[in-house]
Amino acid sequence: MRVLARALAAALALGAAAPTTARAADVKFGALFPFSGQLALLGEESARGVEIAVDEINAAGGVQGQKVVLARGDAVDNNQAIGEARRLISLERVVAIFGSYSSARSIAASQVAELSGLPYFELGAVAEEVTGRGLQYLYRTNPTAEDMAKLAVEMIVNKVAAGLGKKPGDLKIGIIYEDSSYGTSVAGFQKKFAAQAKLNVVTAQGYPAATVDMSSLVLDLKGRGIDVLLQTSYQNDSVLFLQQANEAGFKPGAIIGGGGGYSMQPTADAVGHTVIEGVLDTDFTQYLVNTQYTPGLESFVAAYQKKYGGAPRSGHSLNNYVGAKLILQAIDKAKGFEPDTIVKAAKGIDVKDGVTAVGYGFKFGKNNQNERAAMMGMQWQGGKLVTVYPDSAAVAPMQTRQ
Amino acid sequence: MDVFLQVLANGVMLGGLFAIVSVGLTLIFGIVKVVNFAHGEFLMVGMYLTYLAVSGLGLHPFAAVILVVPVLFLLGALTQRFLIQPLLAAGDHHIQIFATVGLSTVLINLALLVFGADIANTPPSGLRQPLQIGPVRVLLGQVVILGTAILLVAGLQTFLARTRTGRAIRAVAQNRAAAELMGIDVNRIYALTFGIGAACVGVAAVLIAPLYPTSPNSGTYFVLIAFVVVVLGGLGSIRGAFVGAILIGLIDSVTGFYVGADMREVAVFGVFLAILILKPSGLFGRQLRLSHVSP
Amino acid sequence: MTDIPLTAAPSAGLSAFPRRGAAALALVLAALVAVPVAVGNPFIYHVFITICVFAALSTAWNIVGGYAGQLSLGHGIFYGLGAYCGMLLVGAGISPWIGMVAGAALAMLVALAISYPCFRLHGPFFSLATIAFLEVFRVLALHFRDLTGGATGLMIPLKFGWAWMVFRDRWPPLAIAFGLLLLTLAVAWWMRTHRIGFYLVATRERESAARAAGVPTVGTRLVAVAVSGALTAMVGTFHAMYLTFIEPAAVFSLTLSIQIAMFALIGGLGTVFGPLLGAVLLVPITELARGWLGAKALGLHGLVYGLVLVLVVLFLPNGLMGLVSRFTRAGAGTRGVQAGTVAAAPRAAERRPLGEAVIRVEGLQKRFGGLHVTNDVGFTLREGEILGLIGPNGAGKTTVFNMISGFLKPDAGSVSVRAPDGTWHSPGRPADFAALGVGRTFQIVQPFAAMTVEENIMVGAFYRHRDVREAREVARETAERMGLAPWLGSEARGLTIGGLKRLEVARVMAMRPRVLLLDEVMAGINQTDVRRAIDLMLSIRDTGVSIIAIEHVMQAVMALSDRVIVLSSGQIIAQGSPQDVVRDAAVIEAYLGKEFVHAHA
Repeated sequence: MRVLARALAAALALGAAAPTTARAADVKFGALFPFSGQLALLGEESARGVEIAVDEINAAGGVQGQKVVLARGDAVDNNQAIGEARRLISLERVVAIFGSYSSARSIAASQVAELSGLPYFELGAVAEEVTGRGLQYLYRTNPTAEDMAKLAVEMIVNKVAAGLGKKPGDLKIGIIYEDSSYGTSVAGFQKKFAAQAKLNVVTAQGYPAATVDMSSLVLDLKGRGIDVLLQTSYQNDSVLFLQQANEAGFKPGAIIGGGGGYSMQPTADAVGHTVIEGVLDTDFTQYLVNTQYTPGLESFVAAYQKKYGGAPRSGHSLNNYVGAKLILQAIDKAKGFEPDTIVKAAKGIDVKDGVTAVGYGFKFGKNNQNERAAMMGMQWQGGKLVTVYPDSAAVAPMQTRQ
Repeated sequence: MDVFLQVLANGVMLGGLFAIVSVGLTLIFGIVKVVNFAHGEFLMVGMYLTYLAVSGLGLHPFAAVILVVPVLFLLGALTQRFLIQPLLAAGDHHIQIFATVGLSTVLINLALLVFGADIANTPPSGLRQPLQIGPVRVLLGQVVILGTAILLVAGLQTFLARTRTGRAIRAVAQNRAAAELMGIDVNRIYALTFGIGAACVGVAAVLIAPLYPTSPNSGTYFVLIAFVVVVLGGLGSIRGAFVGAILIGLIDSVTGFYVGADMREVAVFGVFLAILILKPSGLFGRQLRLSHVSP
Repeated sequence: MTDIPLTAAPSAGLSAFPRRGAAALALVLAALVAVPVAVGNPFIYHVFITICVFAALSTAWNIVGGYAGQLSLGHGIFYGLGAYCGMLLVGAGISPWIGMVAGAALAMLVALAISYPCFRLHGPFFSLATIAFLEVFRVLALHFRDLTGGATGLMIPLKFGWAWMVFRDRWPPLAIAFGLLLLTLAVAWWMRTHRIGFYLVATRERESAARAAGVPTVGTRLVAVAVSGALTAMVGTFHAMYLTFIEPAAVFSLTLSIQIAMFALIGGLGTVFGPLLGAVLLVPITELARGWLGAKALGLHGLVYGLVLVLVVLFLPNGLMGLVSRFTRAGAGTRGVQAGTVAAAPRAAERRPLGEAVIRVEGLQKRFGGLHVTNDVGFTLREGEILGLIGPNGAGKTTVFNMISGFLKPDAGSVSVRAPDGTWHSPGRPADFAALGVGRTFQIVQPFAAMTVEENIMVGAFYRHRDVREAREVARETAERMGLAPWLGSEARGLTIGGLKRLEVARVMAMRPRVLLLDEVMAGINQTDVRRAIDLMLSIRDTGVSIIAIEHVMQAVMALSDRVIVLSSGQIIAQGSPQDVVRDAAVIEAYLGKEFVHAHA
């Protein structure tokens, strides 16, 4: 029995990790996402974006003439994320890692990459702390929780207030959020930017994501006379809140979701298209958008459709796709795959807004965060999530209740 | 004042929800003396079945009962027969806990495999109709849940007190060995009880699915509360479970409104722990035998 | 012969450890270090560090879950406390080594605070309480975000070196993880092979019998929980430094708590090295499975995981160590059938004179609801006396016993015991009675089934002798006196009823009591053994022990008792010499009814 145990351990060491076979003229990149566990749905969705990017790059001749091969790593929890990062680096010998959708996984895994001096490109996690640590080899292409909050406040100040016929400072703002890292970070920034814009935040309450009932919260918000409600939540709590608010007769002037459940079609279907009509959302670039601002989006959707047999389930795949593709294209222009070469290539990226399929531009600035990354504002209209803000990306005007 | 009444109404409705989920659990807990950690997953399975029946077959949720309840009954009876019964001989509670934890994991992942991680939404079928009762607004479906909970409690009480099978069940709960000597097939009774408990959860699922989104983790949201309710009410006391559920619902609603949404869990678990420590037999339960000394 | 045990094969026991096992264990431990160093790959290092961490966590958990039998599903509390302590102190510029100690101390306090009220809860209630506490801690960690960083968690700055427990090299974290593993194994092994291990198993098996044997059941379990919590916290601190990032959901995690319990279950609850085996086997297999199954379909990996758990629970309840010991036991062979009971050691020829009163009972009253089970019961026991307590079924004899041994509190009346120094005391709990030298047996025998006969007696012996070897000596000696010497190495559950009764007596006798309360020791044993048991009782009396014996076997009552008390419907209806009592009309009526009174007269 014990002999067996040791043999198994040894087998794992050498064979079980099953390094992806790659031929001599291939270059390997890691794709580290949560492929199993609670975050699997959107982890997989994010990875699909990377895969499509790789397909397109390879079709165009690869990177520096070599075919790109993706080695998957499953970051099911933080400990695993570290292990998988180690495996990708030391066994698979990837030249860089793409990841990770989840901020916690990203923080854990990028630490490993940094200590090994390997580039880590974060394509979708939004917490501030990811790039806040000042790591040398970590680059983030996507907009963050801070960007999301900033946009929400902008929308209130620039559009919603006028639409409701009030001055921004006269609006009563309520902020609610699910109590995990995602909700807490977005809400934290919402409070900060609201304060900066001199908005009146009447209440900010967290609640457990796994909640069964939000009626007391709804009652509280209704009693306070909230004009604009900001909620950052996943699917379950978005549905619960919107339904229970509607039934309790809580109809604030505007509801602005912070991505998550608010961007997903099943949420709208569950809540009912009439109930969700007019609800706003801030999130990654979604699919009903002015493609003049986001060239290449339609061909991405077509490619996704062809490869996976269905429409994209969220904007994560799009964001990951654009980020990965740009990085790979930049590396293509360099010579060699040394970490410093790759990093230098990344630093050299300079793309304006309105050029890529996500709309925002790319230039890595402080802490290697893409300074031009920005979220978009959407609204549910007729059961579809259409982009309404900024105007250059809008495909329909923002509607507000009076 | 109106607001306060609404808070109370929300609490009572929530309590009804907890009650209907917990009744089955207290029956199983009290009679078979098994902690079914997979109880929430039974609920989740029932909710998915309801979803399939309503959106797939076009049935009204009330009609879906015909499909869901027998399936859940079978699930409960089979769990008892093949998972719990072999372990009862071992006499070790720990093993049973692990067994049902394992079952819970299996069911959650099976749901993930079959239905995916997205939420499934059962059409409300009229149950989301709001009712205005004076200053207070509730949903039709919530009132149905509360009413059904009361009926279920009353029905189970009557069943246990008046029918032969019910008496047999009570006998087994009080003294298994003696019941066996009286000619009662204890294993059959256990399987039956587990089945009835699961069937109760099936009823709960049918009524809950139109009101709440269903996902593989739906069960976990409810199960911890169900345990709190069962312990609060008293092990094996069905009436106690009902009262406990209403109490917990009120505590949850009041704390959520007057203290803050994030402290609701602390309040509920605080009450749970206080009961466990101060009066483990709960509000209505008999004094638990805490030693092996025979009188 | 009724005393022949049904299974005579030697058991693994608490203290035995086969030589082959030791060698295999050393190999496994060596491999844990040697393999990663030999392969040199950072990923392999990570896997083995993870194995060490989880093996250490499971071993620490096992002290509470396995030894003490309290299934904690909330050990994440201690892991989290250690993690946060370390992180917060590092943030304040203090080395995580100090954080480790601070975390351990904090975990100990929390463990004591949480467990003390929960120990009265049995089985599933205890588990539920631990889960509830875990949730509360998680929510509090989220709530006090100024302190804990809230939902977004805490990170440590990347300062390298042994002082900060963050390294560029791979081997130092492995060394620390391995060191912690060795520490937990050493502590677990020490506990198991010393008095506290015996006390824990006894408490787990039969709490009331343990208390009667003088085991401080609550104190023992508190020690176990404190030690387990401290060790878990230390591992938590290390792991936090290793991950460099923690968040409430990840550390105060029910999944993690269940996982470490599961490794212990699969390896073998209650064994020292089971959890290690569980972790060594399962961590790599989980990695493998995730690699194959995880990416294939959502939920497939978890499904297989759950199925494995269910299958192990159903078919391998003793875990892998159970499998291992089944193989080793099969090889050991079976002993032959013993040739009949051994008589107890011969008696001294002369009997000592009766001494002063040693127990005084006055005016005992007890009601259970409407039932008046004890009505003004009072008597005195003199030193060196054998007092018989008889009466029809339901008279309330055992209730009286429970009240004079601390297991039941009388509604009114007093029980006083004279200490060796002559002062009178009114003890309340079994431990107090034990301290005054009052020992008892139970009507339904309560052996510690998982232990051998020798170990059972040792539990009693530990009352007077701390050292394991001394206790073993005393146990052997007592066994010889009781006629149990041939079965010292057999598991208690293999004895017949006669043997078990003797074992009960032996266990109490090993405590060197001054007063012995025997509850129907003659019940269910055959004629020959009744005679032997009578001899045994008399020889015990001759060593200076006073005895009160509840008995139905009249032969024994007549032969043994100096005085007899007859109880009926909770009241004393007769007292006196055995001959007088047996002819008393009230007694005959109580036993046999009115008709027989006239018949006899």
